[in-house]
Amino acid sequence: MSDEIRMLPRAYHDAVEHWQRHNFPEYPELAKRWERYFPKDREFCLCARIEKDMPTEIQVGEHRGQPKALVPAELDPAAAEQLLAIIRAQASTEFGSIQQHHGTFERANDPQDQTWVLRVMAEELRHGYQMIHLLTSADWSSVTDVKPADMVEDILSMQTGSHVLAAFNLEYDSFGDSIVFAAFIDRVGKYQLTMQKVNAYAPMAASMPPMLREEAFHLAAGVIPMRRWMEAAARDRNAAMDVATIQKMVNKWFARGLEMFGDERGGQTNVKLGLKDMANREAQDLYVAECVKMLDDINTRYVRAKLPHRSRDEADAAYERITKGDTVEGITRDDLLRLPDRRFFRRRGEPAFQMIGFDGEELTDVEEYIAHCLEHLPQAYRASIDTKHWMEMQRGVAGGTIELKKAVASMPRLARVGGTCPCSKSVRWVIDVPEGPSGGGERVNP
Amino acid sequence: MTRIRPVTELDIEAICRIDEQITGRYRPEVWEDRVAYYIRRDPDSSQVAERDGRVVGFMLGEVRGGEFGMEEPTGWVEFLGVDPGARGGGVGRALIDALASRFKAKGAHVARTMVRGEDADIDAFMRRMGFGPAPVTALERRL
Repeated sequence: MSDEIRMLPRAYHDAVEHWQRHNFPEYPELAKRWERYFPKDREFCLCARIEKDMPTEIQVGEHRGQPKALVPAELDPAAAEQLLAIIRAQASTEFGSIQQHHGTFERANDPQDQTWVLRVMAEELRHGYQMIHLLTSADWSSVTDVKPADMVEDILSMQTGSHVLAAFNLEYDSFGDSIVFAAFIDRVGKYQLTMQKVNAYAPMAASMPPMLREEAFHLAAGVIPMRRWMEAAARDRNAAMDVATIQKMVNKWFARGLEMFGDERGGQTNVKLGLKDMANREAQDLYVAECVKMLDDINTRYVRAKLPHRSRDEADAAYERITKGDTVEGITRDDLLRLPDRRFFRRRGEPAFQMIGFDGEELTDVEEYIAHCLEHLPQAYRASIDTKHWMEMQRGVAGGTIELKKAVASMPRLARVGGTCPCSKSVRWVIDVPEGPSGGGERVNP
Repeated sequence: MTRIRPVTELDIEAICRIDEQITGRYRPEVWEDRVAYYIRRDPDSSQVAERDGRVVGFMLGEVRGGEFGMEEPTGWVEFLGVDPGARGGGVGRALIDALASRFKAKGAHVARTMVRGEDADIDAFMRRMGFGPAPVTALERRL
């Protein structure tokens, strides 16, 4: 349970820091707030961490029991190719989430919530750094002609709208999205990292435990503020967040979170190749169960605040009755947070573009379905390019003018940025520099 | 069958429940802050005990060094609670064993805790778990 620190070669380390200055300007603020909000916590380090004492044999799949690969060339070629895509996608999510958080960071109304998100952003930067370490510390030429510098350039050039996964291409409407995102989307991240702990590529597997330890806090940084919002909403009808607003944010993110697992019918190849230990549907089922439990907990906080005169057992009994449809002291099922049907508002996977409503009801008229979805989504998001694009796809699929396959593959604003840094159109993120002794290992809390 | 696993943010309500059974007070803010503290510092060490999918016990602690002039890494057991209905079935022992194992893996060779004089039950439990008087004295001054 200890890890070893690795630094990127100077050119890549500088590229990540350069990226940070443009996309995460709040980063230096973390050092200023560290002692107040995280006293005595281990200092933050922008570095890769490799867990020691990990299993050395492949744990799942066709090559189970064989030694894990130490370099990509030792992997089954299909596994190496798939793994490269996984690392690229993982890196994209890490850098992508920082860009999303950055958009609404200044709009936080609670300094603790904001500082927790700031730490989450810094740790996501470290996770991105970790993925770049995987890409640049080994020879991937057995599966790609793309040079490491170009792979890094490609990742750092992505922006909201050009990331690999849809959840990272949605802009936040408010700081509240930072919180709900942490609770729902980082939870998917936890599943992905956990599944990859068994990875047949030893450096990948050893990258997971340190990331998972940080991810545990990210989930708390989502769930705890949500619990407090609900408590405030129960006590004060003019609270900053009411239940309906929170519910709509849940509806916005849950569907995208489900899609991050990949198509429900797939994922067996990853297991067969020894890259993950669960197929997509199996992992998604566990995720859904965990989300149900999360909302139960958050709702309990609400009910306790609404019924302070009731004992714990009485409040639990009241909660059970409310979830079954009864009204207890004016509280109805609609006053609590609920998880939408997992087929609701889906654009990828098995139920993509099926017209399934929030409660699992089947709708037949596309305009009726669109209106139903819009009614359940945040006002600001309804006006977004993403929603507009989804409506076009939904209408096209329902009307037979767009193939389902095309609609599933389609993302709005697929403007791949051409590898340039905003400082100058002629400068890349990754710049050749004379090789120094190390990347630097900046600590924000020296 | 008791299952021991690291604490997560989804255990907060269950911990509040156990605390409420013991103290008679519902203190979600307190436990939110405490669980967040342990999760962000060392999510592997603090543990909960589950029976039939329900959390029936928790133990929060971490390895620290350099406190009170004791430089050696020390596994501190700081908060614990077992559902009164689940006591006597080895839940506390399973939790302490799990923490001790994590502490050891993190380089600690000693586990320590402090027990209030009035908590005779906890004192007896800790002694049954192999804890004995430490070469430190707890001192206080009323302010």
